[in-house]
Amino acid sequence: MAKPQMQPANQEDMRKRGRSNLTWILLVLTFLVVLAGPTMILLLLGMLPTLVALIIDRTKQKSNSLCVGSINFIGVFPYIMGLWGGMNDFTAAFTIVGDIFNLLVMYSAAAFGWFLFLTMPSIISSFVLVLQQRKVAQLRGEQKDLIDEWGAEVAAIVEVQRMEKKEQHMEHGMEGIS
Amino acid sequence: MANALDQAVETAAAQKDVTVPQEGNGGSSAPATPSEAPLPSVAPPGEKKPPSEKSGVQTAPPSADDKPALAKPKSKSTGIPEAERNPAQPQLDAAQFPPVELNGRYMIYPSMALADLNSPQAMAYAVEDRREPGRQLFALICKPGLPVRTSLMRELKSQSINGMIPMADYGPVFWSPIDQTAVAIVLDRPLGGRFLDTFGERPPRVNEYELGKLILEPVAQAISELQAIDYSHRAIRLDHLFFMDKERRELVVGECFSSPPGFDQPVIYEPLDRAYAMPSGRGYGMSYDDMYALGIMTVFALLGANPVARLSDDEMLSAKAEFGSYQCLCGNERIPMALIEPIRGLLSDEEFERWNMEALDHWLNGQKKTPIQRRPATKPKIAFKFGGRDHMTTRSVAHAFSKNVPEAVKIIKNGKLEQWITSSLGETALADAITGLVAVCKVNDGSPEGSDDVLVSKVCIRLDPHAPIRYKNFSFLPDGFGAALAVEYLRKGNFQIPGEILARDLLSFWVGAQENRTPDLTSQERTFQTLRGFAKINEMGYGMERCLYELNRSLPCQSELLRTTFVDHIDDFIGSLDQVADHVDTRSRPMDKHIAAFITTHFKYDIAPHLKALSDPKEETSLIGLLSLYALIQWRMKVPTLYGLSSWLGGLLAPAIGTYHSRTTRRTIEQEIPALVRQGSLPELFDLIDNAERRHIDTTDFDEAQVAFAHAEAEIESTVGEGVDQNKAALQVGERVTATIAIVISMIATAVIIFVQTM
Repeated sequence: MAKPQMQPANQEDMRKRGRSNLTWILLVLTFLVVLAGPTMILLLLGMLPTLVALIIDRTKQKSNSLCVGSINFIGVFPYIMGLWGGMNDFTAAFTIVGDIFNLLVMYSAAAFGWFLFLTMPSIISSFVLVLQQRKVAQLRGEQKDLIDEWGAEVAAIVEVQRMEKKEQHMEHGMEGIS
Repeated sequence: MANALDQAVETAAAQKDVTVPQEGNGGSSAPATPSEAPLPSVAPPGEKKPPSEKSGVQTAPPSADDKPALAKPKSKSTGIPEAERNPAQPQLDAAQFPPVELNGRYMIYPSMALADLNSPQAMAYAVEDRREPGRQLFALICKPGLPVRTSLMRELKSQSINGMIPMADYGPVFWSPIDQTAVAIVLDRPLGGRFLDTFGERPPRVNEYELGKLILEPVAQAISELQAIDYSHRAIRLDHLFFMDKERRELVVGECFSSPPGFDQPVIYEPLDRAYAMPSGRGYGMSYDDMYALGIMTVFALLGANPVARLSDDEMLSAKAEFGSYQCLCGNERIPMALIEPIRGLLSDEEFERWNMEALDHWLNGQKKTPIQRRPATKPKIAFKFGGRDHMTTRSVAHAFSKNVPEAVKIIKNGKLEQWITSSLGETALADAITGLVAVCKVNDGSPEGSDDVLVSKVCIRLDPHAPIRYKNFSFLPDGFGAALAVEYLRKGNFQIPGEILARDLLSFWVGAQENRTPDLTSQERTFQTLRGFAKINEMGYGMERCLYELNRSLPCQSELLRTTFVDHIDDFIGSLDQVADHVDTRSRPMDKHIAAFITTHFKYDIAPHLKALSDPKEETSLIGLLSLYALIQWRMKVPTLYGLSSWLGGLLAPAIGTYHSRTTRRTIEQEIPALVRQGSLPELFDLIDNAERRHIDTTDFDEAQVAFAHAEAEIESTVGEGVDQNKAALQVGERVTATIAIVISMIATAVIIFVQTM
């Protein structure tokens, strides 16, 4: 009966922690806006696709956001360098983002990031699948060698572990029911 | 007549009309005993003289007239009981059954049987002495399985007993006619033949003047010399006397080695206590028992007949119990005055009153001894009726009860016995004891301790404490339990009843019922408590088999595997097993409960761990225990090689080899076994099979292998296991890799941009 009580408590903790993180981000952003306002304007408007990707990416790893953001940053970074090299004020920043060609460069980079994310993983996963199958075959071979040398009883420990796991599962299942 | 026996017989005949002083008339003459005194069996009831008419007769002895039951058939018209001897066997072919060598000296001829010298439990055969050709010998081949008196034979190998047939040698021989190994005893051949046979059809009567010299002196000599080495003969009877010389001057008593003590004795020769026991349970006894048998033999020789021949054994025992042995046998007979005292002394039913060797010596030397005062048994007011007979003594009642347990239980439980004991005998303590036993029986109702057999057995012990323990027709005195156990196993092949006796602790009850607790009794009780402990443990090396060998130290191992051999000593054991290895089914194990018990009894080193392993239900552990035990025996006994046994055990070791996990180790061991078998070394074989270092490595490596297997399995499970979406997982990996690539590209591009802009 202890676990069902624990789960809401954890969720409450996570919620509290999330709120705390958001506070910190806003605080840092405020400082950054105060210290480097033009750059932040440029980044905010230039990396809008990344922001969209971050919002729609519900995965834990945030691979999509990282992929789009990284390539998007390549498109934005030359303009940041230009800003830092010239008049580093809000007018210059708005001038850069007001030029449609500049935005096209930034968003095209983001689009390439999207393209990468949509095409590359399936190609890589095919390779990964092949590698995994080879690894499993190799492990099975090693297990067979162990059985040949030590007999089937060498696998007994695995059976025992499996049984223990099942028992635990059954016990916990019964606890949940009760 | 040249020989002493014939002279004695002649003298007896000449004495027909000689007056013999009789007791009770102040030594005055009495009418002579008729030479052909009517035997009770032939005397018509109406013709029997009343006791008062007979001189020298003290009280009315039991007569055949009073006993309606028919007497047990006797072997001869004289009624003198004889032990049943093996009949003559058909002559065997000398070519088929060649002579057998004993101890490298004596050749025993299976084809030359000497039926007239047979013992009840052994067959006689001709013998040739290789060192002294022409020496007159014969050999007795004992019945395999029956315990023989090896310890006595060992004693007599180094010294001879005057008055007893001399033994030349003994030992086991393979006896081809029965295809088994048996004990052969080589004895000097009695050239004058058997004492009884010399009489032919005549009654074997010896007159009072010759009796002392002819029979009493040599037999007493034998008893005396045996007593000096702490043995008793226990086979002294008239049909077991021999003449060593052709002239029939030297009389000796026959051998007593071929069967347990008292085993072949007709009941009449046994003192009352031992007579109630079954033949195998009569016990070692003492010289007092030999003196009693001598007394009985003297009566027979004097009268030339058995005076109570018409009585059955039970009737005779009842009469002995009621009137005393002397009165029972001699009450109606005319005993020469000079012999009354020795016969009465020898036949005394109380051991402490019975004549010992000193008393007999004094008498033989012509000195007088104070006559024993006869103490009549306490007579009950009313006889106790049981089994269609009137019983006058508790001893007789106990004996009758043991013969009819269902009826006895009724009488005991309905209180009639207690009532009789109280009212007729006035023994309230005994009555209370019986009541207590019945109460205990009721408390234990339904359990083995409360069974009818146990109740009757205990009641019999209370009624007659000196009598044997009687349980389910298994009756024995404590010193005869070993032989009784051996014979029971020989006949029935199991230990059911002796086992029950130990479990019910009847022996302790018997000891507790004795009035005087002697050191002997205490020692016996301790022994039986130990045996009880052994019997309770159902493991190799214990059980009833252990009791058998503990009590019969000279008994050869009764294992089926050693059936054809004779192993009565641990030194011979391992070698014999090695020899039989070539002739047995080697799929069976060279071990059984008899072998384990025999080893445990005779092997002086601690083998408790080996026995524990041997009794393990796991085959492999048991096999390792077996191998380790035999390896220890070979090493301790310093037996250099055991090829047969090594090969036998080597072939059985597969399950033991299987205790190693590593297949490579197993193969290595299997390959090494043949070489060690050829060496015939069990310790080497054991070291190969159960090497501590090898076993440790095997166990450690196996543990490691188990861990490696589990790791591999866990990895496989995480990759392709149940509940894992392989495509999804691969796609996630792809996404992660793509993100990583994008970050790397971004970092490179950023670096390039910075580099280009700053240039």
